[in-house]
Amino acid sequence: MAVSGLVKDVSTGVAISYATISVKGFSSGDVTDSLGFFHLESICVGEYHIVVNHIGYETQELYLNIAGDTAMTVFLERNSQLLDEVEVIGQGEEVTTQESHSLNSESIAQNSDKNLATMIESISGVSVIKNGSGISKPVVHGLYGNRLSILNNGIAQSGQQWGIDHSPEIDPLIANIITVVKGVGALEYQGSSLGAVVLVEPRKIDREPHLNGEGRYFFESNGLGSGLNLELQQHRKLLAWRVVGTLKKSGDNRSSEYFLRNTGNQEANIALQFEKSWNRKWFSELYFSSFNAEFGVLRGSHIGNLTDLEEALERDVPFFTEDNFSYSIGSPYQKVNHHLLKFHTKYSISENQWFGITYAGQYNLRKEFDVRRSGRSDIPALSLKQISNFIEVKYQNSLARNWELRGGIQINQVDNTNLPETGILPLIPDYTASDYGVFSIVTKTIDKTTIEFGGRYDFENRNVAAISVSVPRKIIRYDNDFLNLSALGGVKHEFGKGWEASYNIGYAARNPEVNELYSNGLHQGVSGIEEGDPTLNKEISVKNTLSIKGNVKDRLFFEGLFYYHKIDNYIFLNPQDEIRLTIRGAFPLFKYEQTDARLIGFDLAATYQATERFNVTGKYSYLNGYDVTNHLPLVYMPSNNLYAGLNYQIPDLGKLQNVGFQINSRFVSEQKNLLPSQDFVVPPESYYLIGLKVSAEKQLPKLGLNMFVRAENLLNETYRDYLNRQRYFADDLGFNLIIGMNISF
Amino acid sequence: MKKINLLLVIGMLFILLTTSCKDEPDEPVIPNEEEVITTLNFTLTPDGGGTAVVLTFLDLDGDGGNDPTITGGTLDTNTTYNGSLELFNELESPAVDITEEVEGEALDHQFFFQTSIGEINIAYDDMDANGNPIGLSTIITTNVASSGTITVILRHEPNKDASGASTGDITNAGGETDIEVTFNVDIQ
Repeated sequence: MAVSGLVKDVSTGVAISYATISVKGFSSGDVTDSLGFFHLESICVGEYHIVVNHIGYETQELYLNIAGDTAMTVFLERNSQLLDEVEVIGQGEEVTTQESHSLNSESIAQNSDKNLATMIESISGVSVIKNGSGISKPVVHGLYGNRLSILNNGIAQSGQQWGIDHSPEIDPLIANIITVVKGVGALEYQGSSLGAVVLVEPRKIDREPHLNGEGRYFFESNGLGSGLNLELQQHRKLLAWRVVGTLKKSGDNRSSEYFLRNTGNQEANIALQFEKSWNRKWFSELYFSSFNAEFGVLRGSHIGNLTDLEEALERDVPFFTEDNFSYSIGSPYQKVNHHLLKFHTKYSISENQWFGITYAGQYNLRKEFDVRRSGRSDIPALSLKQISNFIEVKYQNSLARNWELRGGIQINQVDNTNLPETGILPLIPDYTASDYGVFSIVTKTIDKTTIEFGGRYDFENRNVAAISVSVPRKIIRYDNDFLNLSALGGVKHEFGKGWEASYNIGYAARNPEVNELYSNGLHQGVSGIEEGDPTLNKEISVKNTLSIKGNVKDRLFFEGLFYYHKIDNYIFLNPQDEIRLTIRGAFPLFKYEQTDARLIGFDLAATYQATERFNVTGKYSYLNGYDVTNHLPLVYMPSNNLYAGLNYQIPDLGKLQNVGFQINSRFVSEQKNLLPSQDFVVPPESYYLIGLKVSAEKQLPKLGLNMFVRAENLLNETYRDYLNRQRYFADDLGFNLIIGMNISF
Repeated sequence: MKKINLLLVIGMLFILLTTSCKDEPDEPVIPNEEEVITTLNFTLTPDGGGTAVVLTFLDLDGDGGNDPTITGGTLDTNTTYNGSLELFNELESPAVDITEEVEGEALDHQFFFQTSIGEINIAYDDMDANGNPIGLSTIITTNVASSGTITVILRHEPNKDASGASTGDITNAGGETDIEVTFNVDIQ
C-alpha cells in the first residue's frame, strides 16, 4: 500500500518543498518535491508514526492506522519567525487579541537544565529577579511577584509570591508548553495580575494507544549538576494517562573566579495526568503535581547588620568562600514543597458551546533556614503553610454572527499559617482570605478583525491575625474587604501576508498583600527593618499595549510591542531618613508606601532568513519606570537588554537530521535610571555574554534522539546583574557547558 | 438536552453554596522567642575592689518596635578594671541567660571592642578550646581623663584564625554581627 500527501504551511497555505517524511522505526522516507508532494511506497497494513520535518517549522508527528492506500495533507507551523513564537493553540478554544509568546516542548527539552524563570527569559520583555543561581522569579514588563500571575495547568499558583526571593514552585519540565501573555489583563484567572500572565501547561495526552514517552538527561559543568526527566503516557480507551517525573541535583556554582559556597540545589518532582472521554460530549481530567526542592543560598550573603553589608560590599571575594567544590547544602537554605490537585470536567453541548467545572486544591509549605545560635540552624527561621481551595464554573457559547461569549464564576479560599516552630516573630501574619469572582469576555471575529472586551468583578474578604511587636505580645486582628472591578478591550487586525496589528487596553486593581500591610521587623537578607502600613489602598492599573507584526518577502520577520502602563497607588518599599537601633546595630528603615507610577517600554524582535539554512535574530527590550509623584525612578526595574543570534541549520548531515548551530550574545546595559540614594551601592556595569549551541536529531528504529550541547558565558566573563540580589556579595555565574539528550520512544 | 443543562446549573449552584467558608484564622501561636538578646550588661569592676560600673543596653521588645535604652558610665583615670559581659533574653520569663549559649559555642563566637578613646586599652582575658579569645572576660586599663565611646561587637561564626582577630582586630574576621552596641564613656 502507499501513503501519499501534501505538506503545507498552516498559516499561508503555501506548499512546502524539501520537507522530510520519515516513518518511525523504518528506514523508508521521502522528501517533498517542489510542489510539496511526497509518496511512500510498500507500506504494510498496520500502525505507524510518521514524522514530518522541515527547517523553520515545528516537527509534526502523526499516528496512522493504515488499512489501504492513504492520502493526506500535513500542515506545518512555522517556528523560526521569532524563534520563540508559536500561537497559543494549547488553549484551543480561546481567541484573544493579547500578545503572547510560547516555548514549545522542543525548546523546553533543550533548556532542561533551567528553572521556570530562566527558561522564559529568552522571550523578549521577560527578565529574571534572582537570589543566586537557583532562586529566580520571572519579571514581565517590569512586574513580578504579586503583580504577575503564574498559572500551573490553568490554576493560579498559590504560595508565598510576595517574597522577592521566593521562586515559583513549578517544574517547567512537567509542562509541554509555556506561554507568556504580555497582555493588559487576565480576566479569566483569579490572582492579582496587573497585565502579564505566565501559563505553564501540560498538553493533552496524545491519541496514541501504545505506551510511549520521552526521557531526558542533562549534565552541566558549572555546579556539576545533572537532571533526569522521564515521561510516560498511553491513550487507552478506558483511560488516558501520563506520568512525568524529574530529579535534579547540583552543587556549588562557580563565578568566573571562585566557587559560590552553598549555592547547590536539588529537586524531586512528579506529575500525574488522567483523561477520560466518557462520550463524545463529556470529558474529564484529573491532574496532580508535586514540587519538592531545596535551594542553598550563598553563605557569604548571610549578614548581620549594615556594617556587615558595607564590609561585604568592599570585598572582591565573599566571606566563607572555599577552594573546594561541594554538593552539601547548609544554612542558609530554603526547603519548599508544593502540591496541586486539579479536577476538571467539561461538557460540550455543541462544538462551540460548553460548560466546564474545575476544582483545585493547593498545599504550599515553605521553610527557610538561617545560620543561628546553639544548634538552632536546624530549626527554620521562617515556616509557612498555605492551603488553598478553588472552584470554578465556566461557560462558553457562540452567539449569533461570530460572537463568542465566555464567562465564569470562581471562588478561592486561602489559609496561610505560620508554624510556631521557628522561635521568631513571623515576618507576615496568619490570614485567611476568600475571593469570589465573576467574569465575562466577548470576542467577535469578522473576517480578519478580532475584537475582544470583557469585565470582571471580585470581592475579597481577608481576616488577619497578627502578633504585636510591642510587649507583652498580643494578637491583633484585622478584617479587610475589597471590591474590585477590572475590564479590558482589544482589537486585532490581520492585514494578510503575515502582517497584523493589535491594540489592547486593560483596567485592573490589586489589593495590598499582607506583607505590604503588616510586615514589621528585620529583613536580614537585605539589612533593613521593613514596616508595613495597614492603611494602604489597592493599586489601580491601566495598561495599553500596541503590537505590530509583519514580514517582508517572507524573509524578514519582525514585531514590536509598545506599552504604557500607569499604576496609581503603586506600593513600594521606600527607604526612610531614619535609622533604627537594635542590639545588632543600626539598620536603615524601609516603609511600604504608595505613589503613582508609570512604566513605558517596548520589546522589539526581528529575524532575517538569509537563506533556507541561515538566519539572524535580534531582540531588544527597553523599560523606563518612573515615580510620577516624587519624580524618582522606580527601583528593581530590569535593565535594557539586547540579544542577537546567528542560526545555521542543516536538514541532513550524514546520519543526523536537523543539525543546528547557534552563536548568541546578550548585552545587558547598566541600570542608569536610578539615583545613588536608592540603593546601597550603584547598579553593576553593563555586561556582554556569548553563548553557543549545537543540536542534532537522529531517527533510530523505534527511537528518536535529540542531542544538544550549550555553552553559556563562553568567555568566562566576570559580571554582576542588577536584578540578582547576590550582586552585593558575589559575581554572577562563570562559564557553563551543558550537554543534554532527549530520547522519545 | 434541557434536562442536562438544568442538571449542570443545579450542580453548579450546589458547589457554590456548599463551599464552606472559614471566617477567621485560628489563634496564632506566639512563638517562643528563645534566641532574642534583649539585654547586654558590661560590668567593669575595679581591680582592687570598689564600686563596679555597669554599661547597659536594654531593648525589651526585640528588633524594631520601641527604641532601646542605652546607659553609659564614668570610669576612673589610671585604673585597671575587670570587664565581664552578660547577655539575657528578658522576653522570656524567667529571663534566659544567653551568656551560657555563647560560652557553649565559644569556638563560633568572638567579641570585639572598639573605642574612640585613645587613652584606654581593652584586652581579652579568656580563651576557647583552641586558645583563641572569646571576650566575655576582659581587662580594661584607663589612663588620663578623656571621653568617647566603647563599641561592643559579637560576631557569630567569624574566622577566629584570621590575621589580627586574636588581638581584637575585626577587619578580617567576617561572620555575622549578632550584637553591635555603643556606649558613651567618660574617664575622669
